[in-house]
Amino acid sequence: MYIPSASIFDPDDNGHFGIFGGRYVPETLMPALFELKKEYEKIRFDKDFWKEVDYYLKDYVGRPSPLYFAENISKELGAKIYLKREDLNHTGAHKVNNVIAQGLMAKRLGMKKVIAETGAGQHGVATATICALLDLECEIFMGAKDVARQELNVFRMKLLGAKVNSVESGSRTLKDAMNDAIRHWVTNARDTFYIIGTVAGPHPYPMMVRDFQAVIGYEAREQILQKENRLPDKVIACIGGGSNAIGAFQHFLQDTEVECIGIEAGGLGVETDKHGASLLKGRPGILHGQMSYLLQDSDGQILEAHSISAGLDYPGIGPEHAFHKDNGSVSYDNVTDDEALDAFVWLSQKEGIIPAFESSHAVAYLKKLKDIKDKLIIVNLSGRGDKDMIQAKDILKFD
Amino acid sequence: MKQLVAYITTGYPDVNFTADLALALGESGVDSIELGVAFSDPVADGPIIEKANFLALERGFRFQDILSVSKKIAKDVDTLWMGYFNPFYQYNISKLLQKASSLHVSGLIIPDLPHEEALLYSDEFEKNSLANISFVAPTDTKERIKELVSNAQKFIYLVAYAGITGAGKSEDLQKIVTDIKSYSNTPVYVGFGVNEKTAKEKSKGVDGVIVGSAFIDILLQDNITLTQKIERCSKLCQIIKSKINE
Repeated sequence: MYIPSASIFDPDDNGHFGIFGGRYVPETLMPALFELKKEYEKIRFDKDFWKEVDYYLKDYVGRPSPLYFAENISKELGAKIYLKREDLNHTGAHKVNNVIAQGLMAKRLGMKKVIAETGAGQHGVATATICALLDLECEIFMGAKDVARQELNVFRMKLLGAKVNSVESGSRTLKDAMNDAIRHWVTNARDTFYIIGTVAGPHPYPMMVRDFQAVIGYEAREQILQKENRLPDKVIACIGGGSNAIGAFQHFLQDTEVECIGIEAGGLGVETDKHGASLLKGRPGILHGQMSYLLQDSDGQILEAHSISAGLDYPGIGPEHAFHKDNGSVSYDNVTDDEALDAFVWLSQKEGIIPAFESSHAVAYLKKLKDIKDKLIIVNLSGRGDKDMIQAKDILKFD
Repeated sequence: MKQLVAYITTGYPDVNFTADLALALGESGVDSIELGVAFSDPVADGPIIEKANFLALERGFRFQDILSVSKKIAKDVDTLWMGYFNPFYQYNISKLLQKASSLHVSGLIIPDLPHEEALLYSDEFEKNSLANISFVAPTDTKERIKELVSNAQKFIYLVAYAGITGAGKSEDLQKIVTDIKSYSNTPVYVGFGVNEKTAKEKSKGVDGVIVGSAFIDILLQDNITLTQKIERCSKLCQIIKSKINE
């Protein structure tokens, strides 16, 4: 059974990973964050809590997710490629791992109301799912632009019983959905639990969500040792906020022989202003309750990100990634929209696995790796591509 | 006499107007001006101030404008800078506070820089004789209030309700005001949701009020001239000042 363990990368008592992280929120929310931190300290290593999480992860989500040897692409690349199949989880992505645990925390705190922000809608669907399961009232904040382009996920959330608020302010995407979720939370801090979808936001969220997602790397480590009798040379994952990546990396970070590589959205190219590469092109700054790398202008106004995948379309990144970048404990690179799309088709036709646009970024990096020959590599396949079908159909135009 | 603090979004519709308005408000009974730094993601603000922020940015507001307006007004009316932490942080806090001090600004109000994160900068504030205004929220426990106000400078910003600026909410603040006063002699000003109608009620038991959305609401009216906007804001200021001191 998975239970988090203390890590040398745990933040300090106020949530700082080096200079990053922290709690940059209006005072009204501070008591709620203190309470959440206290509650998290109680359950972090508590067997009874994790037994309950384990039950849902096994019987409801379908964990452990397989570590699949992708033979066809391995042959083509002259390497050994394993895919960690988070795409096979219930609701279609890694998001559910985090949401189950946060939903159970909301219950323990006696909160009946849950809110969440969502970009592509995956975290919104996962949250709506868990609220249906645990009998919680669910309200989702989603940018108006995303509501229009992810119509199917909006319907899914409604079908699951959630209320979906279309956010009209700012760039009308994930960033603004999070602004409005925070505004709603400030207003209803006393009786509402905010389920943040990634390793971002004020402390203790980045650490908590990391612990909840680290089940990915915990399983992958055991699985690869069993199949190959050794650790992988590389673990690759895509990064928007960074939760699937942190989850996949966590149990390999202290093994010097394993290189963890996070792939940011290169969009139309990092030399243009249309990308989501906050680590490469951003500077440290403060947004949504945390200090981290941000895409911003010289005055500190936040810039809009761009990516073919709505899940990577965010101008910030989780603070622990900012720390790992400066610390050198994780390598970071990026993949463009075109390269990701190419990998989307490649994996579909070579392995019969349709990856999400987000995960396609991690897959695409295999083709960019120069020293790949004979290497043992795990790619975290964070989600499946069903949600991207309409967008892909318009771009690919197969006859 | 109870004090009145007015928030205005700098650069909407332009910086000359902001300076004129600030000076006019100073003559109409406002005791301090909060010069607002427009930000792309103002999470503590309701739709009115959020809109003014977006419009100011659309019209080309730059951080530099805060400095030029301060230069024009800060000697005549007590001036504080109000804004989210990121634009301040990008300027470089050390440089920023020296600059503020040299322009005769008296303090900063940063809604997303809570006590724990602000500690890192308290020496710099002190060195430059600037107040970093302490917030107290109605969700705070007595124990936390003690921590928040023990070193409070200039005034304590008591948030009137759990929520965002300009919402029509109210909460009973009597107990929290008593708690604050038991730990600090620094004046307590109430902000959030204070307007012509609520000013008298909200000022009960405290030393002043902070008004933002009610002024910005006038600035956003599009069927009146700039001169009329200044007149109406000045009038509102006189009404509120007399209501809180009735």
